[in-house]
Amino acid sequence: MSTSDAQPLIQMQGVNKFFGSFQALKNINLEVRKGERIVVCGPSGSGKSTMIRCINRLEDHNDGHIIIDGKELTDQVKDINAVRREVGMVFQSFNLFPHMTIVKNLMLAQQLVRKIPKAEARETAMHYLKRVKIPEQAEKYPIALSGGQQQRVAIARALCMKPEIMLFDEPTSALDPEMINEVLEVMVDLAKEGMTMICVTHEMGFARSVADRIIFMDEGEIVEEAAPAQFFDNPKSERTKKFLSQILSH
Amino acid sequence: MDVLSGWWDDYFWGAVVVGQVFICSLGLMIIFGLFGAMAKLSNNRVAQKIAGAYTVIFRGTPEILVILLLYFGSAITLTAIAQIFSPEIKFVDVPPFWAGTIAISIIVGSYATETFRGAFLGVNPGSIEAARALGMSDLQTFIYVRIPEMWRLALPPFGNHMLSLIKDTALISIIGLNETMFVAKQAITVTGKPFTMYIVVGAIYLGFSTIITLAVMGIEKFGERTTVGAK
Repeated sequence: MSTSDAQPLIQMQGVNKFFGSFQALKNINLEVRKGERIVVCGPSGSGKSTMIRCINRLEDHNDGHIIIDGKELTDQVKDINAVRREVGMVFQSFNLFPHMTIVKNLMLAQQLVRKIPKAEARETAMHYLKRVKIPEQAEKYPIALSGGQQQRVAIARALCMKPEIMLFDEPTSALDPEMINEVLEVMVDLAKEGMTMICVTHEMGFARSVADRIIFMDEGEIVEEAAPAQFFDNPKSERTKKFLSQILSH
Repeated sequence: MDVLSGWWDDYFWGAVVVGQVFICSLGLMIIFGLFGAMAKLSNNRVAQKIAGAYTVIFRGTPEILVILLLYFGSAITLTAIAQIFSPEIKFVDVPPFWAGTIAISIIVGSYATETFRGAFLGVNPGSIEAARALGMSDLQTFIYVRIPEMWRLALPPFGNHMLSLIKDTALISIIGLNETMFVAKQAITVTGKPFTMYIVVGAIYLGFSTIITLAVMGIEKFGERTTVGAK
């Protein structure tokens, strides 16, 4: 892989994670440079979500080091919130705040965490709502929006924090098929603008066209790590071949 | 109705006392309930145990007993403390208003503890994760995400607790608070008309509980604006 001197934005070194006696992550080593787009795939239960949840410490790791933009994730609470500000996260189930209008959803953390004045926070919120093409929904409550719209709002909410890195945890898995594309389009736009992204997804078309690297995980390990062309056309590991044949067969 | 003339004033001021006890105990009850619920949901074993004992004791003993024990218990305790400093003091009088208000807040707060606990558990964990992922602190998440989602879930049973609270105010007459029950007892000794005098008390309480029920309905509607319609 490339040997740029620039410090990687995300470094995971020998990361292990246990849930009780179950080992969810086994010796994960991963480096992501600024502007890189990584797609993570693998069968369910393979540790993909756990891995990206460790990156903003929604899960804490048991051993190894995770260093985000030069800051190591430890138990120090202050650092965690500073790191989380840099790392936007989009969830499978959107997770909008149900008791707030769309625009308030986008303003809340700006005001509380980044201490941005209300008017400016609203302006930023509307800017990103326009970018995800639903400014007209600003004053509605999340329940009134379709799944695809809610997920676009969730992406806009994360972008309002001006993150360095965006994590996507199966952002289209909970959506009806006709809504998947509107979310993927937003993600493709982001990628074009140079956002550093890690996406857990099974949208292989997206992976092929957008990813710089594809990571295949199985049973808590990174089994294969390759550029899309090589990953799809000439996978090295048998497990990758089997997985690809299963998801691409239909 | 002639028999009632001359007592309206007393009933009115009795009702005012009921309202005052209700307002004060409502605030205290919410505080007891929130602390109880947070203690039960915390990882601290001691806090869990204390909150557990709290709900077992006060949900498991008669309300009138708690009022009496708290009234006389606090009087005895305060007297003993006062006598340390000035031995000539014979007895410290605890105001029945506050003894009674605190007693019923503690009792109904023990029920509210369970209501709030259940409602906190009902908050979508995804909302909490989203708040954490956005860099919000635990306190900010609590105030801006958990509480606003929690109270909507807690409101229907909480309405019942408010009705319990208003009805429990009638028990405080036993330690000499001059609310409506107390007025009725006085009126009965003078007039010898227990049915009439108690019916007035009943009407006053029905008035209060109707207001509470309507208020809860209104608040529920306000809370539901985020979950219905719009589409």
